[in-house]
Amino acid sequence: MSYSPSRLRAISSVFIRLLWRQRRRGLALFILLALGFALAWRRPAVEQVPLGEQQTVATAKPAVCVHTLLENEVEEAKIKRSLQLTRELGASAITQFFPWAYAELTRGQYDWSGADRIIRRARRQGLRIIARLGLVPAWARPASGDSPTTLNTLPDSAFDDFARYAGAFAERYRDAVAAVIIWNEPNLSFEWGYRPVDPAAYVRLLRASYARVKSANPAAIVLAGALAPTLEPAGSGAGLNDIDFLDQMYKAGAAEHFDALAIHAYGFQDPPDSAPARGRLNFRRAELLRQVMVAHGDADKPAYITEFGWNDHPRWANAVRPSQRSAYTIRAYDFAEANWDWAANLCLWALRYPADLLSYPDNFTLISADFTLKPIYFALQDYARGWERSESPWLPAPAD
Amino acid sequence: MAASARRLTRRLAGQIAVSFAAALAFALGYMFLRIEAPPDPAKAFPTGEIVIGVDASFPPFALNDGSTLTGLDIDLARAIAAELDLPLRFVNIGFYSLHDALISGRVDLLISALRIDRARMDDLRYTRPYFDNGLVLAQAAGAPELNFDEPAKTRIAYEYASSAEGQIRAWEAAGRRLLKLPYERPEHALDALRLGLADAAIVDATTLRLYQRSRADWMADQRYLTNEPYATAIRIDRADAWRLVDGALETLIASGEVAIIIGKWL
Repeated sequence: MSYSPSRLRAISSVFIRLLWRQRRRGLALFILLALGFALAWRRPAVEQVPLGEQQTVATAKPAVCVHTLLENEVEEAKIKRSLQLTRELGASAITQFFPWAYAELTRGQYDWSGADRIIRRARRQGLRIIARLGLVPAWARPASGDSPTTLNTLPDSAFDDFARYAGAFAERYRDAVAAVIIWNEPNLSFEWGYRPVDPAAYVRLLRASYARVKSANPAAIVLAGALAPTLEPAGSGAGLNDIDFLDQMYKAGAAEHFDALAIHAYGFQDPPDSAPARGRLNFRRAELLRQVMVAHGDADKPAYITEFGWNDHPRWANAVRPSQRSAYTIRAYDFAEANWDWAANLCLWALRYPADLLSYPDNFTLISADFTLKPIYFALQDYARGWERSESPWLPAPAD
Repeated sequence: MAASARRLTRRLAGQIAVSFAAALAFALGYMFLRIEAPPDPAKAFPTGEIVIGVDASFPPFALNDGSTLTGLDIDLARAIAAELDLPLRFVNIGFYSLHDALISGRVDLLISALRIDRARMDDLRYTRPYFDNGLVLAQAAGAPELNFDEPAKTRIAYEYASSAEGQIRAWEAAGRRLLKLPYERPEHALDALRLGLADAAIVDATTLRLYQRSRADWMADQRYLTNEPYATAIRIDRADAWRLVDGALETLIASGEVAIIIGKWL
């Protein structure tokens, strides 16, 4: 097909007239397209995963809670799946870490996007949230000089900065977060920035944080402690045992600056009903911390077990067999329900890690990094949902 | 005139060829020396000792009996230090701090039943493995290879909720005809195999070795189903130290000393 020059001129002329007549619509279309491109350009490349319908937790054991580790999870779909599995487990609450260092990378400029995406999905699954706060941004850490600092090094001069973050967090999530834990395991040198642990300093941090949180949201529950179960004696470079640390917290005036105590109650190799003793680490060591509370006139305050559990690694010296881990975990819930009227949620460490660590910590989880549900998940689900388990999941030992 | 120009050209070409050959020889020699000359241990470990990080809560690889550290990894560390003719010092560190201790320079080397983890390879470099603790399929010695197509289901014993159960699930998903025999402990699964109640058992390599030590009258054939190699690790920027330790391991493996150490504990 060929066109003569005069025919081409005629076609061009018609086309130009058409454009001129539609210039206003064309301009509008152009502006719309440009806006669309600009918005797409500025929009962060986040995978879009629908929130889904509002859910409620079906459970026969409302004390069941799990510690999630979603702060380092990159994919939205994995956050959603983790929280769905938590609800389907029959857990009514989660303990979740919200690092200060992630939210206030630059002093005074909060970025809540990381916390938002966890909290809105947890709420959509009908879960209560216990928020653990910690991890120091670089700008709040002391200049390193000769002594190395870590993400847990918080100088006294930055206590108010942390408290301001705790207050801002409580304000932003006043309708979503039930309780906040101030710091994690301050009785370990590692968790206190590789410095000697200092109960009085921790109480100063607690006091500053409590005031800010309560000012932002008087209904928020401030949890103190979250002490590591350890036998370290006074003067140890590694830390101080939890019993003495809590006692010294009270002596430093902690009582007026928290609403409930956060307790870590790992079972190690003992069954859940093994009697507590100062020189032994087991689940009922929590009762010794309770005794300290009572001795200091704090019997009316509850405690939250924000970490507990057993490990079933085949080689780790502090582990039990997988069958024991399942049985001990369920017996622990029963024991607490029957004997610990002062204990609120019992949060199992841990639901899932974002990636396998290829050593014994992997054997604390209910779900592997690739979302394989471990048998303990099903055992706990049967318990929490009130489903009867008809038979033992293993055979009797063969007899010679 | 033309002849003299040709002579000059030939001479120049000869000189260029000789220079090129000399440069090539120098370069090859330099490369050879650089590759083959072993690093100086005194420079690779400037403190004059090897500081070894270990989590001594992993029997029989490393355990703390109250006053001293013992175990397979401890013996291996001593053998490596002896091979390098350097004194050694252990630092007992929990798993969560092990890698930080290496990266911060608090220790020179990790020997701690470490599985090779690709995610850590920006920070550290693993040596060749010295043991594989993968899952093994154990059968009675001399038993024929499992045939999952036979009418009767193949009876597989394993520990309830262990990593072996994951392997069984994968086989089931692939359509293999199995009769699952979960036991409360891995030793019970091996008892079932020994007593003829199972056609095979799946356990990790360490468990099978320890079981066979306690049952000297019974032997099993084994075949690895998965691999979990254990290796030592050195900070990524300490290339000379890595070459020395990896070289020492190569020598110890070739001489059979690593096998002797493994045989002592497993």
